[in-house]
Amino acid sequence: MKLSEQWLREFVNPRATAGELAERLTLAGIEISSVTDALPAIDKVVVGEVLKVARHPQAGKLSICDVRISAGKQLQIVCGAPNVRTGMKVAVVLHGGRLPDGTEVHVSQLRGVESQGMLCSARELGIADDHSGLVELPVDSAVGKPLVQVLGGADKVLEVEITPNRGDCLSVLGIARELGTLFDLDLNLPQCAPVKPTIKDTLPVNLAAPEACPVFAGRIIRGLRTDAVTPLWMRERLRRAGLRCVHPVVDVTQYVMLELGQPMHAYDLKQLSGGIVVRMARAGESLQLLDGNTHTLEPDMLVIADSKRPLGVGGIMGGTASSVQVDTRDIYLEAAFFPPQTISSRERKLGVQTDAAYRFARGVDPTGQTRALERATRLLLDFANGEPGPVNRVAGRKNAAAKLVLRQLKLRQLLGIRVPEREVGRILSRLGFRTRKRAHTWEVRAPSYRFDIEREEDLVEEVGRVFGYDRIPAIAYPSTQRMLPLPEQQLPLARLRDILTGRGYQEVITYSFVDGPLQQRLTGGPGIALANPITTDMTEMRCSLWPGLIQTLRYNLNRQQKRMRIFECGMSFIPQHDEITQENILSGLITGSQYPAQWGLPQRVADLADLRGDVEALLVASGAAERLEASAAPHPALHPGQSAKLYLNGVDLGWMGALHPILLREMTLDQPVLLFELRLEPLLHGRLPKLAPISPFPSLSRDLAVVVDERVPAATILGLVREAVAPQPIEVYIFDIYHGPGIDSGRKSVALSLILQDSSRTLTDEAADATVKHVVRQLQDKLGATIRD
Amino acid sequence: MLELDQLIQEAHVRAAASESLAALDEVRVHYLGKKGVLTEQLKALGSLPAMERPAAGQHVNRAKQAITELLDAHRHELEQRALAKQLASDAVDVTLPGRGQDPGGLHPVTRILERVQALFTSLGFRVEEGPEIEDEFHNFDALNFKPAHPARAEMDTFYLKDRPLLLRTHTSPVQIRALLKHGAPLRVIAPGRTFRHDYDVTHTPMFHQVEGLLVDAGVSMAHLRGTLTDFLQRFFEKDDLKLRFRPSYFPFVEPGAEVDISCIFCNGTGCRVCKQTGWLEVLGCGLVHPSVLETCRVDTRRYSGWAFGVGIERLGMLRYGINDIRMNYENDLRFLRQFR
Repeated sequence: MKLSEQWLREFVNPRATAGELAERLTLAGIEISSVTDALPAIDKVVVGEVLKVARHPQAGKLSICDVRISAGKQLQIVCGAPNVRTGMKVAVVLHGGRLPDGTEVHVSQLRGVESQGMLCSARELGIADDHSGLVELPVDSAVGKPLVQVLGGADKVLEVEITPNRGDCLSVLGIARELGTLFDLDLNLPQCAPVKPTIKDTLPVNLAAPEACPVFAGRIIRGLRTDAVTPLWMRERLRRAGLRCVHPVVDVTQYVMLELGQPMHAYDLKQLSGGIVVRMARAGESLQLLDGNTHTLEPDMLVIADSKRPLGVGGIMGGTASSVQVDTRDIYLEAAFFPPQTISSRERKLGVQTDAAYRFARGVDPTGQTRALERATRLLLDFANGEPGPVNRVAGRKNAAAKLVLRQLKLRQLLGIRVPEREVGRILSRLGFRTRKRAHTWEVRAPSYRFDIEREEDLVEEVGRVFGYDRIPAIAYPSTQRMLPLPEQQLPLARLRDILTGRGYQEVITYSFVDGPLQQRLTGGPGIALANPITTDMTEMRCSLWPGLIQTLRYNLNRQQKRMRIFECGMSFIPQHDEITQENILSGLITGSQYPAQWGLPQRVADLADLRGDVEALLVASGAAERLEASAAPHPALHPGQSAKLYLNGVDLGWMGALHPILLREMTLDQPVLLFELRLEPLLHGRLPKLAPISPFPSLSRDLAVVVDERVPAATILGLVREAVAPQPIEVYIFDIYHGPGIDSGRKSVALSLILQDSSRTLTDEAADATVKHVVRQLQDKLGATIRD
Repeated sequence: MLELDQLIQEAHVRAAASESLAALDEVRVHYLGKKGVLTEQLKALGSLPAMERPAAGQHVNRAKQAITELLDAHRHELEQRALAKQLASDAVDVTLPGRGQDPGGLHPVTRILERVQALFTSLGFRVEEGPEIEDEFHNFDALNFKPAHPARAEMDTFYLKDRPLLLRTHTSPVQIRALLKHGAPLRVIAPGRTFRHDYDVTHTPMFHQVEGLLVDAGVSMAHLRGTLTDFLQRFFEKDDLKLRFRPSYFPFVEPGAEVDISCIFCNGTGCRVCKQTGWLEVLGCGLVHPSVLETCRVDTRRYSGWAFGVGIERLGMLRYGINDIRMNYENDLRFLRQFR
């Protein structure tokens, strides 16, 4: 909301600059986000009177005007405006003057005729959009007076950001009340005394939905001048508040809304038949509103109707058919109260946003309707004449303000400071609260315009914010806290992150919503769809982190980053019937060479074993690396020959594999991409280390190479070796896999290194050889292995 | 006698001429071996008259010792020379870059989250997490958002299709979950992702918050100010950082405030970043609204509490100069590597 400083100062005028007012208001919770000049720089522009208009001899569209700019001085000015005429009061830019757009005005020759200044349109002066002709100043403007003064003088515009609980501050009156409290000053209220009716006409009002409209007030005004023009000062104030002038009657209702916070509506009386009925809409009713659209009304919408048809949607927007027109002479002025609860949802349903609805949704004073009507009537009669009828106010039951008790003790406990009792009373009564002092407490009733005061804490805030939050000291809360538990078998996530970053992975954070089709392509099923996605490629909640990682991959590949190792940890959302499983997962992606380009290390493209090494490293932290099982299984995103489901201790852990070549092609990726995705929870199960005895006896190592069928998994071979040796401990690892000359096709040679040790004695060569022989026999029997020499 | 001196002299010359340990050994064998010159002389002592034997023996032994010493000395020198040669050939260019994997790094948001977390855990706050898909109860109702209140509409909420659920618009629902789970007294912080339907230079539809909550006996605004002053001064590592509390409105706190800090770029004198105000807005806070405590079955006669919520990207913007918040989620590696 924008407000003129000048207007505000008519209500309350503290000795402080606009900047200081802004600062005080801001620190009391009424945020002033900017203070700007109300008028553009218009220097050397004065009021002139057109004395004579003659046609330019060389140009049909130009006139030569004699313009009086002071008692004894007149200028000859060439002007192209169509509306220039004798006797008109105009804005004259003098020689050496400058327009807001930077144009300088000098004495000049226009088609052979001297022009000693310039006559301006509203747009040229930067005070309105109109450029159809000269701005017409009021006939009583004093010739020679600087235009700035005619426009109301220099002024600032305050931009106010009102939090949604403070509907009472959406007006000059509301802000003035805050300033009056902050500076301890009384308010000068505008003239709102009843205007004496000169006619008896009224419209009957039937309040058929008193819950949705507890107060409805209206009055008829007949015989308005149709040639009335909204006074310049009022137009200026509306402009400074960011509103456009529309029609004298509408301008007045807008003005009163800005000033007192009460939205109003004016009807063309001749369009109304019978009386006013305030009722809920009937099924199937429709209405063209002032936004130009015809809206279908729903039964939970309140309408203001006459005896035949709905006229407008209560508190939100009026209808076109009954609105005031240029030739409207007789009007019906409405000021009503609509409770906040239902306004926003109706506004949303209608898809409109209005200043009226904005205010009603945040709370309008339910006692301010008559005052607003009287104020508007007076303003209107001042320049448009008219005969007012009596005000007809119809109201349902009034809710008395609840009595609240504010305890001095509570005030002190919550604020952490003592506010002097006198100060508490002063603050509350300045804000309009009725208070009664008791011993150590106050009995308080909130004013009708406050919708945010329900309990004692609300009063504490009122006192605190006016007294000043900056007077509250900073005190450490005394701690009686015991040390927090630190379960050692629960790994911190940071440990896993460190393992991955140590292995060259960069952490990324991608959006939790992803492209639906991409996700379905990668996971095989639909995810959870958003009702209102922000873009068409963020439509579903992710059920895997792979869509996000792949998007990141593509983004970076497009920026010449060919080698990538990235991971993300975050929530996945998996639909399961009516439930949603929200689980943290950890996923990674690698592509390009395994190591960065460097000397003395041949470049090698990262493969699945590299990826698996990273997965195993994650498990080392929880002491479970050797319990990881990978088994070949198909996954919609993965290459069927390079895809493994992972288990830890027999429980699902996740997946790893190479992105399917078809997907690579679809996404025009020309290098292999390897992915893992792990459930976080099992990864974080650590273990408490327990020292095992270290054998003092020397170990012996034996190598052997076995030739087996190509399809025999390495895990089977290693498992068999361990089984064969059990319960003796053994370290075994594969140091080579070989295909090629000397090995039949369809078979492979697997070279194993066995490290044998006995915990109770020195192992002899004979014993070691016997063990190896046993191992070999097992491999021969169970896998059809042959030994390669 | 002369012979022996000559012998020593001669051995010296031959040893010095030996270029290898093998050559030197030949010299040793020649003089000291089983059939060596001095060995023969010792053997020949037997043929001398008994009277002369001791003196002659002494001479020969002295010569033997001298030759042994000079051979040892030369061996030592040869060994030193060999070592020096080996060392010289082993030398590498120590300025060559190292070999191996290039370490990665954490996302700047994670860095900030961990920093905030570390500061609060040092004060005994436990870390709680909650679901990101929430229900109306935890995200709004329990936090004192009235059903039709504009405050609810201002949250720009994402809703799920066909389910009565939403994406949490703040981490505040974790307050509710933690209070219902643990009861009072309680100190928790809740870091996590939050979602609002908004996208421009200062808004992404997903962002991160850390919620802080302390509920205990007699908690006041002064305590809130105390903890937040400590937190922000430590976070920015500026002991003279000033805080300004501006009254504001969040339905779940009363009194509520927004906190500004003295501008860390100009120390409050006014600059482009703080728009000449000297202040930077950093977080929202207040005393926990009694209706929130009541919903969580906390005895409000006994307990009060404070809560705050801080935007992590905002802190990252101030701390690391990430002025376009959207960069956080483009995940450009050239951006991310700067936070390793």
